[in-house]
Amino acid sequence: MEQNKRDLNQTYQYFQSELNRIQTIAGTLSTIEDQHVKDLTNMGDDKLNQMAVEEQSAARQLGEIKQICLAMSQKLDEIQKTSSLH
Amino acid sequence: MLNIFSNLTRKIANEVVDKAIERIARDQYTENLFEMVPIAKKVGPINLMEIVMRSAKGVPPGRPLGSHIRFSPWEKLLFNPVHLDRFPTPEDVSISTSVTIGKNAKKPLTLSIPLMIAGMSFGGALSKSAKISLAKAASMIGTATNTGEAGLMREEREAAHVLIGQYNRGGWLNTPEKYKQLDAIEIQLGQGAQGSTPQRTAAKNIGEDYREVYGLREGEDSQIRSRLPGVDTKEQFIALVQELKADTGVPVGLKIAATHHLEKELQIAVEAGVDFITVDGAEGGTHASPPTLEDDLGLPTLFAVSRASKFLARQGLKGEISLIATGGLVTPGDCLKAMALGADAVYLGTAVMMALVGDQMTKTLPFEPPTSLVVYNAKITDALDIDRGAKNVFNLLNAMTKEMEQVCYSLGRTSLTDVSQADMCTLDPFLSIASGIELGYVSPDDQQAFFNQFHLTQHANKMNMPAHEPPSTTRQQEEQHLN
Repeated sequence: MEQNKRDLNQTYQYFQSELNRIQTIAGTLSTIEDQHVKDLTNMGDDKLNQMAVEEQSAARQLGEIKQICLAMSQKLDEIQKTSSLH
Repeated sequence: MLNIFSNLTRKIANEVVDKAIERIARDQYTENLFEMVPIAKKVGPINLMEIVMRSAKGVPPGRPLGSHIRFSPWEKLLFNPVHLDRFPTPEDVSISTSVTIGKNAKKPLTLSIPLMIAGMSFGGALSKSAKISLAKAASMIGTATNTGEAGLMREEREAAHVLIGQYNRGGWLNTPEKYKQLDAIEIQLGQGAQGSTPQRTAAKNIGEDYREVYGLREGEDSQIRSRLPGVDTKEQFIALVQELKADTGVPVGLKIAATHHLEKELQIAVEAGVDFITVDGAEGGTHASPPTLEDDLGLPTLFAVSRASKFLARQGLKGEISLIATGGLVTPGDCLKAMALGADAVYLGTAVMMALVGDQMTKTLPFEPPTSLVVYNAKITDALDIDRGAKNVFNLLNAMTKEMEQVCYSLGRTSLTDVSQADMCTLDPFLSIASGIELGYVSPDDQQAFFNQFHLTQHANKMNMPAHEPPSTTRQQEEQHLN
């Protein structure tokens, strides 16, 4: 029983650290995408502008991933706290 | 050759215009085409044509895309840029645009942008290709699209990464095998352009694909009832919400036409435990609704959002239950203002439809309206280029979000969801009192004094007294004072 609880706690911690890592990667990629948007827009070409628009959307979707990771991490935290109370 | 043709055209145009002006100048009003101008001015050109349509058919004309009246005074709200007191957001900081609907649901719904595609049904409103095009656009930008009052269409489900489905008064999406495929469930009790009025589509206008999605028998009409089947009491509604939440885990919300009874309706929604509330203002669109339902019924979106947001705040539920605004929101400014008033996200219908047909409307003009590319059973729905339409909608949503982000830099905010009503001022004293948004005419420090004086002025106007007199002064006291 005690061993199971320890394993579960370790699993929670693993999920949380991985979620934090995904969140950081998403944030970094989002920043890179934002820079690409600026660079592509500066070229002043219609096709490149359309690519920039798609990059911008990708940057926002990475922002969405960041928020999902944050929310999941908070939920895991809550579960961990609740389970440690029992 | 071209010159000769051009000169000839000019000569003909000149002759025609000269003759027309001569006739307008000489003919009596009763024989004069100009008669239409004062009549159109008196009743309005839209009312004039709708009178003619009613007289031709004897039935209410089904006006597309909602009321033409812009009830919500969005233009009377302005954002407050910052410079020194608070600083603008640095240009190298990204503005967060993502939003979560129903954060307390077992499976909350997170989107990249707070702009979603409104409920427009397959069959009842749009063609299959239009619905697929919208679903593709939503997936490209990372937002949700809505089924509208319809059944579950396989192609739409496949094309949409995030699909919000309407548990509807027709009952076409209300079985577990269908609603369990959704990412959020919106219980549809009414809409801005029609309230809770029943609607019927005659079997003759229903094709095989429509029947298949709706589960209709051949020859059967499709009927949207005024009430949800099986929900005739408040308790039954509460039980339904609980059942859907337990069955699916996805956010379960309520969509209503905004009304003056808003708070009473929301109280029941709160008791039921909904995860989100969609308020559809009086400016809400529709495929076809009688003009009276569109123009003379409901509460404008601005007031609906403001009141709903205040209600949730009073209940301590702001942020716990998501608020979605819809109905006549067409510009990024409108959308951000709705968010500043308390909406977490915004549904777009008419604006998205116009973007969908966008540069393809040349296929219909000048002989057919642009919507004939996208409406079910319209003349040239086959001509719609699905991918081009999706790209157009994607571009619109991207540009709108970008403009909302740009305002955030100037407001010193780093997220669209951080924009609040403190970031706005208004030019309308009544709107200021009703919404709590400060009045732009006077400095924040002088607001109270201004409104005290404002009330005195109002009172004095009513009593026909000078504005500086205190409100309790009666005419008799005034006369004594003068003596």
